[in-house]
Amino acid sequence: MLAYIIQRIGQSALVLLIVGLVAFSMFRFVGDPIDNMLGQERTQEDIDRLRGQLGLDQPFVMQYVKFLGGAVQGNFGVSYRQGRPVSEILLERAPATLELAAVSGFLAISIGIGLGVFTAIRRNGITANVIMSASLIGVSLPTFLIGILLIYLFSVELGWLPSFGRGETVKIGNWSTGFLTETGLKALILPSITLGLYQMTLIMRLVRSEMLEVLRQDYIRFARARGLRERAVNFRHALKNTLVPVITVTGLQLGSIIAFAIITETVFQWPGVGLLFINAIQFVDIPVMAAYLMLISVMFVGINLIVDLLYFAIDPRLRVDRTGGH
Amino acid sequence: MIRYILPVAIGLSAAPAMAETFKWAETTDPQTMDPHAVNSAPVLGFLNNVYEGLVRRGKDMAIEPALATAWEPIGEGEGWRFTLRQGVTFHDGAAFDADDVIFSYTRASDESSDTRSWFAPVSEVIKVDAYTVDIMTSAPNPIFPDSIANWMIMDSGWAEANATTLPDKENGNYATLNTNGTGAFRVTDRQPGLTTVLEPFDGWWDEATHNITRAELTPIQNPATAVAALLSGDVDLINPVPIQDTARLAANDAVKVIQGIEARVIMLGFPHEADSLKYSAETTDANPFADVRVRKAVAQAVNVPAILQTIMRGNAEAASQLVSPAMRGFSTGLAERPAYDVDAAKALLAEAGYETGFSFGLKCPNDRYLNDEAVCQAITGMLAQVGITAVLDAMPVQNYWPELREDNYDMYLLGWSPGTFDAEHPIRFLAATPNEEKKLGSWNFGGYSNARVDELLPLIQSEIDDAKRQAMLDEVTQVLQGEVAYVPLYVQPLVWGAQANVDLTQRPDNFFILRWVTVN
Repeated sequence: MLAYIIQRIGQSALVLLIVGLVAFSMFRFVGDPIDNMLGQERTQEDIDRLRGQLGLDQPFVMQYVKFLGGAVQGNFGVSYRQGRPVSEILLERAPATLELAAVSGFLAISIGIGLGVFTAIRRNGITANVIMSASLIGVSLPTFLIGILLIYLFSVELGWLPSFGRGETVKIGNWSTGFLTETGLKALILPSITLGLYQMTLIMRLVRSEMLEVLRQDYIRFARARGLRERAVNFRHALKNTLVPVITVTGLQLGSIIAFAIITETVFQWPGVGLLFINAIQFVDIPVMAAYLMLISVMFVGINLIVDLLYFAIDPRLRVDRTGGH
Repeated sequence: MIRYILPVAIGLSAAPAMAETFKWAETTDPQTMDPHAVNSAPVLGFLNNVYEGLVRRGKDMAIEPALATAWEPIGEGEGWRFTLRQGVTFHDGAAFDADDVIFSYTRASDESSDTRSWFAPVSEVIKVDAYTVDIMTSAPNPIFPDSIANWMIMDSGWAEANATTLPDKENGNYATLNTNGTGAFRVTDRQPGLTTVLEPFDGWWDEATHNITRAELTPIQNPATAVAALLSGDVDLINPVPIQDTARLAANDAVKVIQGIEARVIMLGFPHEADSLKYSAETTDANPFADVRVRKAVAQAVNVPAILQTIMRGNAEAASQLVSPAMRGFSTGLAERPAYDVDAAKALLAEAGYETGFSFGLKCPNDRYLNDEAVCQAITGMLAQVGITAVLDAMPVQNYWPELREDNYDMYLLGWSPGTFDAEHPIRFLAATPNEEKKLGSWNFGGYSNARVDELLPLIQSEIDDAKRQAMLDEVTQVLQGEVAYVPLYVQPLVWGAQANVDLTQRPDNFFILRWVTVN
């Protein structure tokens, strides 16, 4: 077990280093930050001076090494655009993204599993078929379009919900939360549906097909034959056994909820890290881009690690295999 | 359904009028609150509400007294004497006097400051007394007061107390996030990239004509979101309105579209100095654009009225020279742009020896100017009509400038907005022979060079007599038009969207001046 964990952590660290290297090798294709930092009336001399100050005249490997040196000490540099430490900006923006991701994730999992079980049990019912067809929309429409459609329906036409932003937030320590105000909660509705819709339909379809698979198994038939109640069969015996693949996918999907909140955040002008990243790309704000990409890869690698470990906990066969000395 | 919804929408949009906060959205958040750190329109435009200069621009763009009540040339043009306004206080209560002007000059002209080029003609700034300052120039400079309308005055005591005596672009400092100006509004909350809140400054020296008690700027990058925010009444003003949405918004009674002409002229540039084309399939040993007939053919092949009608949806005006008619020094006698004439263009090409045409690379930004890529696509099609094939390469602006600096183009699209609102500005940056030492021609990527233009530029810069100056500007315009140094296409439109109950003034520099807003 311990050896397995150590091995996985070692692999994770290697992945992180490679991601960073690839990221830095690509930054020069994003463009040149100098033109954004200097005004119209700059001279070549100004350009060269600033480039030297920022270390942009060095090869990207040197820039990367410099970044890593700072990053291991928790120093991600200073944003070119805002002139403030990147770590400070990220901490300021993180609550918005995390709250949005948490609500979306909760919606996706609870509704996704619920509807998945429902459509599996009543697989020939009209409601179940309608839900299945409707879920195609969630899988196939791009997030961008869903967001715009929701805004036009609920903000512009009906005027029920705000069209952008986070509403009022309350500060608890360093954490700004939108959960405690009415405008904050209202502002969460549309973006979290937009962000979670894809995951919701995905989880639903996954749970449904796994359920259908499991319901065909002999032990379910035996359970029914034993006279167990339908509810106990479906939830205690069937659902539990569908969860292993669901956990894997959900884990990875939670990562993408945070990572790909970028689009939802752009559509709703949601002041999270995704929007920060988009702005950073437009401005070629290399320190912000680098820190964001590293954080996202840390998160993905971390989630993968946790999912691997959860397998261990849930599926006893893996444990047997390992201790069996392969 | 629609009939039911419409009154609701109007009712909603009326709500913010009674609310105290005026909310507006722009695409770009001002990246700093430091008036000397970054010379860009989003920063200077926003800070014009907070800081003030010795002079300011009125609704017609003419300069008017602000922190200086009067100014006059010294002697035969050795400099300018500014008489400062008395009784002005900064937002923190400190009094304004000549020391703040001297300090702001030192700060804004420092190497670390992005506004340094404004003070290139200045040799010395002298405090005569507490309310009189002499700004000496190395040569007579008739437009100096015009050129410093965005030079904002900062309190020396405040800057020293907060260790921000110089701007710091790389690491930021106190003035990056905090302000202390003399303007009509003070910043009460600043969250970079999220919101910036302004409240009226009670101690402002001038009489306030607005009725705003609180204003909030939110950057909204996505144009569709901005339009939705305006339509749903979540914001009172958006800048800009996407061109394709103008008709739809104009048809809606709850909102209005405010259109104007920006100071920015969009033009095509050529590689004057290059020996050969870089992206041509067959013409690899010659540079057709070095021939004035080919450049003229390009000017006549581009159907500007069609571009304005289709891509700009009638929102822009054709341009004949490097500045728009609203700028000082515009040559009124030369306002005609070459007529669209396919046959004439073909004849010119044939005369130059390219009757079979040639292919070349057209570089274009895709996120810098309004519908820039669509314009370039249209131009590509129009040039194909006369037999020259443009291979279009459109890219984001942060990749674009490095490409132009590396001379990686055969033709390019450029927009120019003169910071001084004077015709001399584009001559200095776009038409003068590039000269690193004299800081001339720094945006003249193609290396256009004309001895007469170079000779006239310093004379224009130091000519006090308006008529003589205009005659020289006219001569330069004539040279540039005759040689087709650039092909000016159109003046970029300004399109703002506001709630119907908002009255405001749109300035051609795209600055949103909050003190001119009234909400009815």
